[in-house]
Order: sequence, then structure tokens, then C-alpha cells
Amino acid sequence: MLRTVALAGRATRSLPRATRSLASQAAPAQPQPPAEPKTEGSVATTFGEKSDVPAAVEPQHVVTADVVSGAPKQLRHRVVRIYKPTPTTMQSGGSRNPGWRIDWDTAVGGGRWENPLMGWASSADYMQGTRMSFSTKEDAMRFADKQGWDYYVQAEGVQRIPPKNYAENYVYKPNTLRIARTK
Amino acid sequence: MLRLSSSSSRRLLNAASSVVRTVESRGFATTGARRADITLTVDGKEVTVPQGSALIQACEAAGASIPRFCYHDRLAIAGNCRMCLVEVQRSPKPVASCAMPAMPGSVVFTNTPLVHEAREGVMEFLLANHPLDCPICDQGGECDLQDQSMRYGSDRTRFHEIAGKRAVEDKNLGPLVKTSMNRCIQCTRCVRFANEVAGVEDLGTSGRGNDMQIGMYVEKTLASELSGNIVDLCPVGALTSKPYAFHARPWELKKTESVDVLDAVGSNIRVDSRGVQVMRVQPRVNDDVNEEWISDKTRYAYDGLRFQRLTVPLIRQGDRFVSATWEDALNAVAQGLQASGAKGDEIKAVAGALADTESLVALKDFINRLGSDNLTTDQPRGDEPPVHGVDIRSNYLFNSTIPALDKADAILLVGTNPRHEAAVLNSRIRRNWLNTQMEVGLIGEQIDAIYRYDHIGTDLKAVDQFVAGKGAFAEKFKAAKNPLIIVGSAVAEHADGAAVFKALSTFVQKNKDRLLTPEWNGFSVLQREASRTAAYDIGFVPSTKSKGVKAKFVYLLNADNITPDSIPENAFVVYQGHHGDAGAELADVCLPGAAYTEKGSTWVNTEGRAQHGRAAVPPPGASREDWKIIRAVSEVAGVTLPYDSILTLRDRMWEIAPSTVKYDETEPTTLDISAAGLASMAGLSAGKASGVPFRKPITNFYQTDPISRASVTMAQCTRSFVDQANIADDAKLAAAQTA
Repeated sequence: MLRTVALAGRATRSLPRATRSLASQAAPAQPQPPAEPKTEGSVATTFGEKSDVPAAVEPQHVVTADVVSGAPKQLRHRVVRIYKPTPTTMQSGGSRNPGWRIDWDTAVGGGRWENPLMGWASSADYMQGTRMSFSTKEDAMRFADKQGWDYYVQAEGVQRIPPKNYAENYVYKPNTLRIARTK
Repeated sequence: MLRLSSSSSRRLLNAASSVVRTVESRGFATTGARRADITLTVDGKEVTVPQGSALIQACEAAGASIPRFCYHDRLAIAGNCRMCLVEVQRSPKPVASCAMPAMPGSVVFTNTPLVHEAREGVMEFLLANHPLDCPICDQGGECDLQDQSMRYGSDRTRFHEIAGKRAVEDKNLGPLVKTSMNRCIQCTRCVRFANEVAGVEDLGTSGRGNDMQIGMYVEKTLASELSGNIVDLCPVGALTSKPYAFHARPWELKKTESVDVLDAVGSNIRVDSRGVQVMRVQPRVNDDVNEEWISDKTRYAYDGLRFQRLTVPLIRQGDRFVSATWEDALNAVAQGLQASGAKGDEIKAVAGALADTESLVALKDFINRLGSDNLTTDQPRGDEPPVHGVDIRSNYLFNSTIPALDKADAILLVGTNPRHEAAVLNSRIRRNWLNTQMEVGLIGEQIDAIYRYDHIGTDLKAVDQFVAGKGAFAEKFKAAKNPLIIVGSAVAEHADGAAVFKALSTFVQKNKDRLLTPEWNGFSVLQREASRTAAYDIGFVPSTKSKGVKAKFVYLLNADNITPDSIPENAFVVYQGHHGDAGAELADVCLPGAAYTEKGSTWVNTEGRAQHGRAAVPPPGASREDWKIIRAVSEVAGVTLPYDSILTLRDRMWEIAPSTVKYDETEPTTLDISAAGLASMAGLSAGKASGVPFRKPITNFYQTDPISRASVTMAQCTRSFVDQANIADDAKLAAAQTA
């Protein structure tokens, strides 16, 4: 995840015109590594699939967006999660299942509170309602790289559905009957 | 069928017939024929699936989505809704793809006028008797019938029957499942679930044709720990959730993927919240843990998160609590610690069932820094080192792992009732029992299991008898290839616990060739509390010398299953937790913590699988994340803990027990280490047998922890399922309330 930070600096140099006017603001923000430690035990590295992170994300293709996006630099201190939401168990159709998603964990301090005036939920966390969908994991990772966000990729769950057969309802099983297949 | 004449299909047919030939010739082979792959064509796309698959699975594999109501991946095939009709070449009629096996070389079309017409016809029949109450139906927004009628249904009705639609009386299935039987389309998913998975063979159908009804025939409730899952299964709004009725629509909810902590299975859940409230809990599909089922406690105890909460720090003054600021409360703790004069092991920590791993690590570090090893848990005999020891993980983990339950061919349960201690895991035992010739034996108090079992005995004598190879079940166990011993967590709390572990581990050592091989570890301990495995992993256990020391300062971390007499007179007691339950009552200072839906924390399940629970909603009032509270207490007590962020704390966890931060994986113990663990247990000194029978640790499944004890829904469940209150009275009461 350190790579992201290093990238930011490199890519900015290739954009002299765009960054010139912003240089004074952007420069201090860039080299700051996020507060998270990079030891192997930290959540950012141990989560999900290390081996599965493809090498497809070429550093030189990433154009840093956060120097010009005006996004608050605090965003770089929050780890985003890239994951594939599990399909709902309420429905059988697959079209509602989004692909890969980026979202932010609920902030504990200013996450949400009940507004004393109206009873609605107020929040000090500008990312609490934001989520982004991508068709592939690589797209999501590239986007996070571009924004300079730390991320971790959570492994996709695997469903193991055995071959199923209508005839199984009528298969003879020796010994005492264990279930009377009925409906 | 005109399509047959086209040249491309002919080519396909030729290819197909050659496939048929190869498969036929393979039919004589002695091995590998049953699970061979077959190839067929779906919508012009070749797809290969294992032989024996249903046609609907082949279509799914080819990327064609097939509408369905009755077919469900995890239930037996019924074939009664007819929604999954597809066209198969050379078949005179459209075929129901769920009930038709995929045949090699067949050419299937899922998107032709014939199929469209067939589906439209089926939909018309289904809707003929379906009420038009979508606006007031709780399934709205996540209704298969609604979605599929939009996509496959006709745009106008031909229904002009004077008598109107069919009307069916609603059933009373208890406090969890609300029925609206007019909406039922008789897919029989609920019937199959109850019969196969839940093992409560009460539901069925009666009558036929237009008069067919789903029900129990006699009026009774659906007494299963998994009954909430039929709400998910129901493709229409006939079965909906009673506690959630008319509370929210699915599109309003923020969905947070998290982990359940109300038992030690670590079921994957999705917490659906609106604003600052948890509105419902849904299962998340994970085939390694809970597949797509969760227990009723997991699903419906969430309303307990709203009641009995500790929202501000409290300090005891006389016989009442006075709310205080965090500063005052923390100072009160520091002063209490000083004034109590506690030194060394007189400082005692008690961890409860709902303590997350981060706070356990912080509390252990804090107490150790104060010079004490007196780290106990709130279970019976929790203030002694556990008999199985914690030095070797395989002595207290569910070593076989949960998915391997499908492979076992003989299971011995010792002092456990998996139905109440791990309801979802129990359904796997039932599935294996149904599908194979697997045998179950039980030593301990008789249970109301969802499979038949051989009852060997109730106490240590039965264990000795089994180990000696006497009895019918011991014979069956000897013949098994993948035998499995499941020892309940309550055995370690029993007076004869050491003797049981000694006897069983000696037995495993003797039968190493079957019980402890590279492929199979047949000795498993089933924990029943979410935090227990993590506590053992990090070494949150008392030392031998701390046992019996009279504590002067007691720190209760979510410890609510303690008895008041376990706390010495005049001890200064701090309670940290989220509910005003048994623990808070005993406290001098209460520090409000966050519940599992309100903090990002690590939970280790009974297999040793570390999982990440996420915060869905903020903690109420002034309550804080638990590890932060302990960090703050350590500072005022003068032994500041060296971590300021959750990531540095997780680095500390990595130092102590790396497995607690390797998320979503189980780390199997190597053979040598497992063998060493068994040797350590085989060397236990078992005292004189007490002969006390093993009791079920959970008498009331619905109320085991502060969250479920605070839940109104769980109280109602206790009333109907445990106390067996007359449901007719309840129905009358409900009618009186609505009137």
C-alpha cells in the first residue's frame, strides 16, 4: 500500500502544467505517508488475498487525481475496502448484485447521531453515504490508486453448490429411513 | 423446432452425438464415471458441468439466468413452480430445467418465443390467485414474484372471476415468522427447508390444485432454531419477519457486512441499519461457515441492542448509580484501584462472552502491567486454568473445521448439544446424516436433536466404556473412515473434565491412523461463546498461582454470566460493557462500551477463524469502543498501554497470536503439534471420578447473553418455544391488541 503514496509523487511530476498552480498546496500533502503502520500484522496487509492482488496495475499508468480533486487530505488516512457484496438471500435473481465495491467503514466518533431537533440521523463523516461500484476488482484498485487511497481487497466468497438432481428424491437408502421426502 | 434444419445446429448435433458416444463408452469404466463432466449447449454456448447436474445449473453456468420460485441451490429439487421452463431441442414440450438432468450434447434455448410464452403462462396462473397488495407487503422491493412478473409476466390480466381470488387462513408460526398465506404460491421451499435443514418435520402441504395449502395440519408453532431462514427463502411475501413487519423497505437500509457473536460459529451476517438503528440482520453467504443460514438468535436478537443500554459512565453511590463524565468515571476507577490496595493477583479481570479480541488483548496487557496474572473468564471454573491448556491450539479448537462435517461418517458428541450451542453447525450434521449412512453417538444429557443418535451414557463412565470399545456405537465408530469426536465446551467446566479429555486424547492417540492424519483431524472442541477461542489464543487464562487468590479489584469486561458470590466482599468492581445486566449490577463503576454492531473488531470462531466484524451504527450516547476505554483506564492507572490506534493494537495482536489477524482463514495445526497437544492432555492427572452427569450448558437457547436477554423478541420466543405457552392464547391476545 506504500506504493500508492510513492506513485502520487511520481505522477505529479509528469503533470507540470496541471500542478504548477497547486504546487504549494499539494506539496505538503503528498509525501505524508498514511498514519497506518506497514508491518505485516496490520489490517491493511493481512486482510484478504495477498497473492490475489494482480500485478496488472502498472504504476506508470496511474494518474494521480487527488492533487487536483480538492478532496480533503484526511481521506488518505482512511483505509477503503474493496469487496464484492454477497448476493442477498432474500431473492434468487442475480441482476441486483453489484460487482465490486469501494466503501468506507463507519467512523465511530462522528459516524452518525440522532439529530436532537428533527430526530434524523446527522453525520460528521462525509463518506458515510458514499459507495462506488466497479465491474472488476482491478478497476476498483486502479481507482483507489489514482485517488491515493489505502485499500485492502477482501477475498470473494466461494459458493460450493453440489450437482443437484431431481432423482435424488427417490434414491433408495439402506437401513432405517431417515427422512420421508415430502412436500 | 425449425431451428434444427440450420447448418450450425447440425454441426452442434454432430458434436453432441460424439460426446454422447464418449460418455457411453466411459460408462463401463470402473472409476471416475460418476462425476465425469458433460458438455451441452445453452443458447449456442458450449458449457461443461459435472454429470448429475440439473439443467438449471448448466444454464446458470452458461450465464443464462433462469427465473425460478421453487428451485433453491441448498434444498432438494421440487419441480413444482414450472417457472424455469426452457426449450430443449427435440423435446416436444418446454421442460422444467430444475427437474431435468443436464444431458450431454443436448441443445437448450432459454430465450425463445416458446420459452417466453411458457413463462408468461406460468406467471399468469401464479398471479391469478396472488393478492395485489404489494404496497403493503413487506416483501416489496425484494420480491421474486414482483421482479419476475415485471420481466416475464403479461402486461394485462384475463382474470375476471366473480368469486374472486382464493383466500387462505393465516397460520400462527410463533413470534418470528409472520404468515400471509393468501400470497403463497406453493413453491414448498419452506416445507423442504423445515424437513431437510431445520429438521422439524412439521410443515407440509394439504389439499391439491387450487385448494392446496402449506401448513402444519394441526395448529402449532414452528419450533426450530433456524425458522427465521424460511423468511429469506420465501420468494413472495407469504412468510415475512414478524419483528421487522412494516418497519423499513430494503432500499432504505444501509448494509454492513459483519460477523455474528451470539454463538461461537461466527456466522457471517449483514447488518441492515437505518439512521442509528439496526433494522434487521440477514445472513451473508459463506460456505465455509454458515452457508446461507443463520440461527434465530442471530437474526432476531438485534432489538436487544436498543434496550437496557449503558449510555453514560455510572458511579455507584450507596445503592444507586449516578451518571458521570468519562473523566470522573476514569478517575473513580484509578482511585478505586489505589484505595482497594490490590497488589499482584489480587487484581482480577473477568472476560465475558461478548468481549472482542482487541479489548481482550488490551485488558490482558493492562492487567499484566499491573503485575497480575489473574485473567479469568465468566464460565463455570473460569478462574482456574482450563483443563485442556491453551499452549496448543488444537486442544480447544474445532479442528476438523465446519465444512468437514460433511465428510465425517461417525460423530461422537460429548457433553454438548450442538442444536443450542451452534445451531447452524448442527444443520450440517443433519445434512450429512440424511445424505450418508453417518451415525451419531451422544455422551451426556439427552437432547432434542434433529437426527437420531445412540445414547451411550450421561457421565464419565460412558466415556470410559466408549474408549474401551464397548457398546454398539463404539463398534460403528471403529468401522468409520472419518470418525469425529466433538467435545462440548461445557466438558472443560465439569468436575470430570480432565478425566474426559485424558480418556479421549488417549483414544485419539491410539487410533491415530484414522483420527489424526494429514487429511483428517477427528478431535474437535465445540466452543459456545464468541470470545472464548480468542481468549485462549491470546492466553487470557489464569495462572495456577492466581487461582484462589481473593481479589480486591475486579475488572469485568462484558462479564454477565458471573454469579455474585464469585466476587469477594469489599472488592472494587469495574464493569465495562454495553448492557445493564448481571455484571453491571455488581459494579462500583460502569464504563459504557459498544456492542458488536457498533465497533470494528476481530472475532475468532470455534474453528479458530478470525473474522472482522464491522461497525454498522454508532455506539449510543457516550459509550466508546472497548479497547479505547481500556487504553484510557490504563493511562489514569499509570500504566499506559503503548497503542493509540486500532492498527497498532492489531500489530500487538500479531505479536501475541498471528492467527487472530489473519482474517477469513483457518490455520490448521500441524500433525506433530496436534500430537503434542494430545500428549499433554493424555498426561493430565484425573482425580477421582465424581460421576456427575454432563449437563447441557444452555437451557434456554433464546436468552444466553445480555443482548438476547434484553430483546423483546427473544423473550417472546422463550415464551412460545421454551415455556410452550399456548399459542391459541397468544393469538387471542394479538387479536385483542390489533382490535
